[in-house]
Amino acid sequence: MTKANADSPLKVLAENLVMFGRSHGADQIEVTILEGNEFSVDVRLGQIENLCEAGARGLSLRVIKDQRTAYASSSDLDRVQLENLVENAIRRAELASIDECAGLPRLEENQIETSALLLNDPAISVLDPKEKIELALETERIGLSDKRITNSYGASFETRVIRTTLVNSFGFSQEYEETFCSLRLGLQAGETDNKVEGSWSSVKRIFKDLETPEKIASTCVERTVRQLNARKIQTQVAPVVFEPPMTSWLLSFLFACVSGSAIYQKTSFLADRLGEKVAGEEIYISDDGLMPGMLGTTPFDSEGVSSQKTKILDKGILKNYLCNTYAARKLKLRSTGNADGGGIGPHNFYLHAGTLPPEKIVSTLDRGLILIRTLGHGLNPINGDISRGAFGLWVEKGEIVYPVSEITISGNLGRILNSIEKIGNDVEFRSSVVGPTIQISELTIAGS
Amino acid sequence: MSYEDHFHLQDSDFHKILDVALSRGGDFAEIYLEHRVFSLINMEEDIIKETSESINLGLGIRVNSGDKTGYAYTNDISIEKIKRAALMAASISSESSAKNSASLSPTPLPHNFYPVLDPAHKRSLRDKISLVRQTYDAAQKFNPKIKKVKASLIDQIQHVWIINSEGLSVSEGRPLIKLVCLAVAEHSNKREAGYCGGGGRVGLEYFKKVFTPKEIGQEAAKESLHLLEAILPPAGEMPVVLAPGHSGVLIHEAVGHLLEADFNRKKTSIFWDKMGTQVGLPNLTIYDDPTLPNFRGSYNMDDEGTIPKKTPLIVNGKLVGLLQDRLSSRLMGLPLTGHGRRQDFTCIPIPRMSNTYIDKGEYDPEEIVKSVDKGFYAQKYQGGQVEDSGKFTFSVSSGFLIEDGRLTSPVKQATLIGTNIDILNKIEKVGADLQFGFQTGTCGKEGQTVPVTDGCPTLKISRMTVGGQS
Repeated sequence: MTKANADSPLKVLAENLVMFGRSHGADQIEVTILEGNEFSVDVRLGQIENLCEAGARGLSLRVIKDQRTAYASSSDLDRVQLENLVENAIRRAELASIDECAGLPRLEENQIETSALLLNDPAISVLDPKEKIELALETERIGLSDKRITNSYGASFETRVIRTTLVNSFGFSQEYEETFCSLRLGLQAGETDNKVEGSWSSVKRIFKDLETPEKIASTCVERTVRQLNARKIQTQVAPVVFEPPMTSWLLSFLFACVSGSAIYQKTSFLADRLGEKVAGEEIYISDDGLMPGMLGTTPFDSEGVSSQKTKILDKGILKNYLCNTYAARKLKLRSTGNADGGGIGPHNFYLHAGTLPPEKIVSTLDRGLILIRTLGHGLNPINGDISRGAFGLWVEKGEIVYPVSEITISGNLGRILNSIEKIGNDVEFRSSVVGPTIQISELTIAGS
Repeated sequence: MSYEDHFHLQDSDFHKILDVALSRGGDFAEIYLEHRVFSLINMEEDIIKETSESINLGLGIRVNSGDKTGYAYTNDISIEKIKRAALMAASISSESSAKNSASLSPTPLPHNFYPVLDPAHKRSLRDKISLVRQTYDAAQKFNPKIKKVKASLIDQIQHVWIINSEGLSVSEGRPLIKLVCLAVAEHSNKREAGYCGGGGRVGLEYFKKVFTPKEIGQEAAKESLHLLEAILPPAGEMPVVLAPGHSGVLIHEAVGHLLEADFNRKKTSIFWDKMGTQVGLPNLTIYDDPTLPNFRGSYNMDDEGTIPKKTPLIVNGKLVGLLQDRLSSRLMGLPLTGHGRRQDFTCIPIPRMSNTYIDKGEYDPEEIVKSVDKGFYAQKYQGGQVEDSGKFTFSVSSGFLIEDGRLTSPVKQATLIGTNIDILNKIEKVGADLQFGFQTGTCGKEGQTVPVTDGCPTLKISRMTVGGQS
């Protein structure tokens, strides 16, 4: 546990409010307080553009009375206001309907040791603002030094320190602190009517793990200029290679389709399919809340259920849905510790790495598209349909021959899961939903 | 208690805060105070599943020094914490000489663009629950194929108070409400969702006069049934007719964003060097108008206290205007338009759209469809996205094939893609039937979301790429 410091004033406030709620008619009550400090600097063309520094707190609560639920939240932490908010919530709960599945999770016997999760880097709170500004300036300077770059969206450095306090009427009372830092760059290349844009960023919990300004700038430059002089291609069906950020995008859509709330609401094409083979043999997907230092790692979820590792797809077989307490009760399953506010969120949701180096996937592709960016909406969890604007690189005989734009890709997630032909070895935990380079046997590409 | 009372601050306090904010030599300082009460009711699986109440209270302090902005915010409204925030924001400037703020002259706003008879925030939860139930029941009972319904009512009252070092002190209360319905229809192993919603800066009288809960529920149900019959779209380039109203998202994405002043000041927008030039055909006129009565995207003042104006962007195909906030307006030497908006007190204001639309033309909409032999009719959308190069996409949730000048098979899930100046020059016909989309839309930029609407008449685009499956 991070020190369950009995004197933390926010924890005392939360505990008092839980007691207040219980004594004013709530059967169950849960109080969450988030306290955050953020610093961000945006620079552009060598000058500071914005500098923002702030400390903010917010409290949210849930009450259950006679199996009826009400929620409330406030950024005004005045004691009297909060007590009003609790009393109002209890009154509002009476107007909701009886819901057999409503309620907080029971207290678990074993809890996760927070310190082993490496959520917190003390170096971040003591960074000198000058150093933060210089990191952003340097990143942009290196990016702009490439002659092919014609304009800049600027670079940003940001830090956040967040303290989460969760107390409920079943006796759960814990706090933990986490840190984040990020460095981003956005660039433009090309002339007036033929502009392309690219961006790259690194987000970490531990300051020394952040990618260097050189690395971020060179990646950003490369990702921008490779799109210059794009062509349109004919409408066709072709194999498509997803770069890791694109695999992440696809997996975010899959996450939405295995989220317990979409399952019990039957708004996912994967509803009622537990135990079925929904993907190829070589597909393994997991959600793991316990990986030390990763962005999606937490000791417990927003209801106080301990984080865990959950298998989603194992040899292509759908093993589990991700649930909070409510969805779990609806589906007669167990919570997987994925409660996130009122909904369900991923921890570290990833497609396991294969064995192929990504260069090898491209060099063995006879003819097809490398998908590098998508634009727009066009995801439908109900049937798995995908349709998006896309940018890519066209490959002939294992070589990238030119970039393509003004195309759309369309397909269906259910079919894509069964047509992943190649899996790269390049999984990097850059965000909370990640995967390696993959090759899909065919997708429809609409062009001219 | 009135919202000002939440802040316990007097004019003399504001002066002290502004003086701290200018103590390092900034040119301009501003205090943005916000108190917002938000309420939500959710109905699904035949029950009122939850209700929620949320209170947002805080203030943001901005200091400008040249083209630099220092920003700090807090929701701890003690004078010490506020002064600390002011000092943080002040540090954007590092001159030795302090500047003084002008004395405050509180000014009432000369207009109210959202007269409301029956404010939602004053009505009991019970009354509001009844609206949600009516919506839900209307969708569910519409057809036995409707298997799942969700209905929600979300309303808020946002009080904003802006005080700046030039002596401005203005405030307003902005109501905002939306009643939305999602219906899922199922038939022979197919499952489709339909959506409908209504609202705006209105009171509950809207749901009696303009758009009733029953209509909202039934529209959502009809849409899901329509999609059960729909086929996947053809792929490739073809003539596209855009239905009036919802297709306004095209103009929001393809044109509106790139005419936000910041992208032009920074020369990242494809339009930055095209002011005064012909960018579309002479039949094309586009406005952004924050003053449309009771519209979701309207406001009596923007989030910098500027009185907004109906702003022409493109007139007869010629680029004539940009959407300005204070910073870009000053740096570009162009007049303010009242488009500096922010999501809430934690955010720096930036140029944003409000209600954006293509003005009506002269064609009969039926004639427009008749003029197409083989093409695509786009009707409803999930949304869209644009990048500064002008490349945009938008996702069509439902539409029709056009064959021999008639709408034939329903179509679902298509993506339209193009480049803005190219498309502006392919808007061949503009209908006389200007309409607006649902009063439920939200636009995101740099992580900030704000309520908007958009609209257009029936439009014919001579050729456009449709992303589909065959």
